[in-house]
Amino acid sequence: MASLGVILARKPVHSSLFFLLTLLSLSALYLQLSAQFIAVMQVLIYAGAILVIFMFVIVLFQDAYQQISQLQAKSAPLLLIAAATAILLTVSFLGKQLLDITPAKADTIEGFGSVQQLGQALYIDFFFPFEAVILLFLVAVVGALYIGKRET
Amino acid sequence: MDITLFIFISMAMFAIGIIGVLAMRNTLIFFLSIELMLNAANLLFVSFARHWENQTGLIWVFFVLVVAAAEAAVGLAIIINLFRSKQIVDLDQYNVLRG
Repeated sequence: MASLGVILARKPVHSSLFFLLTLLSLSALYLQLSAQFIAVMQVLIYAGAILVIFMFVIVLFQDAYQQISQLQAKSAPLLLIAAATAILLTVSFLGKQLLDITPAKADTIEGFGSVQQLGQALYIDFFFPFEAVILLFLVAVVGALYIGKRET
Repeated sequence: MDITLFIFISMAMFAIGIIGVLAMRNTLIFFLSIELMLNAANLLFVSFARHWENQTGLIWVFFVLVVAAAEAAVGLAIIINLFRSKQIVDLDQYNVLRG
């Protein structure tokens, strides 16, 4: 998986490019799961917005990130603990009920994951959460601007 | 359509994200690992939505995407500010919140 590259790459630029690869393959997986809208949103929001912010930060502090090249990972025991935690979490979710999941029907209901269906669900059944999330995003952007401005 | 493979991929991504958060010292990679874990959760949402043919999961993925975007904006602003004041990128050396 490309996501291994994210944490193994030395330079932050490589690591975020690996992240881009992860996002694109995830988008392909979403298409396989017949969720076209989510696949498109994934590319738009993650690859288009979040990764661009990451790139900006990396470019802004390029000289500073030279010191990263020498930065080693934490000590071996800590790494071991991290890996053990990850594996433990994975296994704990891996109960035997996972193994007898019956395969779903090959063909989905009409229009599953299409923009029309999702839009209807979003604006009719989930209208209040939708508005709340808009408010959250607005507050986040204002907060980010404030934090960024305060220093100068 | 068997979603077991997707669940495995999602768990692997989540595990990699946890390793990244716990073991890496670079602030940016720390942040990317958080995004990785969010993506793993999203993949799980989508695969179970597909499995039960229930669109609510897809709606939740949309909300997670928006929250991730907001979190990235705020978090990166904080990282920039921290870096401006301290000039270090090593996570272990940030101790301004220590009591």
